[in-house]
Amino acid sequence: MSKSVIVKNVTKKYKLYKKTSEKLLDIILPKSYGEDFYALRDISFEAEEGDIIGFVGVNGSGKSTLSNVIAGVIPQTEGTIDIKGQASLIAVSAGLNNQLTGRENIELKCLMLGFSKKEIKELESDIIEFAELDKFIDQPVKSYSSGMKSRLGFSISVHTDPDVLIIDEALSVGDKAFADKCLDKMNEFKSRGKTMFFISHSIGQMKQFCEKAVWLEFGQIRMIGSINEVIPEYEKFLNEYKLMSAQEKKDFRDKALQRQSEPMLSL
Amino acid sequence: MSSMYKVIKEQIESFYLIRRLSLYELKSANNNNYLGMLWEILNPGIQITIFWFVFGFGIRGGRDVDGVPFFQWMLAGIIVWFFVNPSISQGSKSIYSRIKMISKMSFPMSVIPTYVIFSKLYPHLVLTIISIIILHFTGFPISIYLIQIPYFLFGTVALLLAISLITSTLSTIVRDMQQIVQAILRVMIYLLPVLWVTFSLPEWVQSVMKINPIFYLVEGYRHALLGQGWYITADIPYTFYFWGVVLVLFWIGSALHVKFRKHFIDFL
Repeated sequence: MSKSVIVKNVTKKYKLYKKTSEKLLDIILPKSYGEDFYALRDISFEAEEGDIIGFVGVNGSGKSTLSNVIAGVIPQTEGTIDIKGQASLIAVSAGLNNQLTGRENIELKCLMLGFSKKEIKELESDIIEFAELDKFIDQPVKSYSSGMKSRLGFSISVHTDPDVLIIDEALSVGDKAFADKCLDKMNEFKSRGKTMFFISHSIGQMKQFCEKAVWLEFGQIRMIGSINEVIPEYEKFLNEYKLMSAQEKKDFRDKALQRQSEPMLSL
Repeated sequence: MSSMYKVIKEQIESFYLIRRLSLYELKSANNNNYLGMLWEILNPGIQITIFWFVFGFGIRGGRDVDGVPFFQWMLAGIIVWFFVNPSISQGSKSIYSRIKMISKMSFPMSVIPTYVIFSKLYPHLVLTIISIIILHFTGFPISIYLIQIPYFLFGTVALLLAISLITSTLSTIVRDMQQIVQAILRVMIYLLPVLWVTFSLPEWVQSVMKINPIFYLVEGYRHALLGQGWYITADIPYTFYFWGVVLVLFWIGSALHVKFRKHFIDFL
């Protein structure tokens, strides 16, 4: 099988500024101001066609940053990402215009993705049916519940037929029935050889669906492998972390944060 | 130079997108009002009435401007302002307020200010047509000079695009830029021959005011709508100056835009 996504030495550096004036000076002057913070550091992995990869990790470990970088929403500071085809990110309420109705949002979003008017007409009814919005489709999106928004977002994204799909916590707001329907759709994608990345705090969903997992810890890969290897280790870590005292937890976080601010060692 | 070419190419390739998106823009701005898009016309109408009352009736005491009644004189110039003002102010915040929505890097980002400006173009066209009709029945019949309108319309859009490329990039990086733009726009109308007559000023002051390229557009529209002559050829050096300014601004704007657009999302 051929590789569909190759992530190589990807690093994402943010600057933390104490004052807004530092930010301005940093833009204007060649000298560097502010403190470095590595949200991702030297991430490398490969995905094959038909792979479903789960990203696990505690809050702030860089899961969402990584998914945004893969989707091309955020540019990486260093490293390369090769993607065969079009990547599509589904996150909660991603890119919906609150003022417009659901139907208008479908057309808007599809337009931006480069579909023609005729193609959009054909997709529209499928999208509405899958999202189960029925008569609410002609109501403004601002009146939608978070579940409705994420259903619409998910439905649009899967029907635009991307080659690589990145699902960032988007299923955690839907009910069980909808989540199952999405999993069915994703299994269909899998059989068609599409690569998917799956981010969720629900380890149950992760086990049910993913084959491989990447465990991120404070911007670095802690472990990578098949789901059966990574998840037990991750659960073990979670249990240990839960048992730590408040002080130990704080020390653990401080140490990690300090590591994330250290400059990169050149190889 | 290459970034200028790139931006122009993106505009041409995405022309269909610009047209569709600008309609959605117009729609989402007016969806909450019962009168909807009618406000795009009502709002300027209210302002014109008040300005006529204050400047024409109050300050000028109803005197005409070189034989042209004040109302018609003002109307022929102010419609440019009703296009320029919202276009610049919306255009300069167009990128940072929409970047979240456009979560794709493959989307040509230079199109964002363009479609925002285009969404202001439709009300402007309607307003221009209404003005032509009003003027036709109030002593300024439709004349051959009206064929200058498409030229000045094109000039206005070109200038607005160039300005918005600069301001939208700068205000994404430094949010204070938006405040600066608003502050300038608020007083700009008084520096244009829109509400008061500038002929009485010393020659050199008038020349200084002409540095502002919008001056050219206002006078151009007025000559066309009132049938006062061919403004394009009346002052040829000024026409060249105007296009020179547009070109330089567009060059700066596209260079800035292309340089920073990859990092727009980081500045949020």
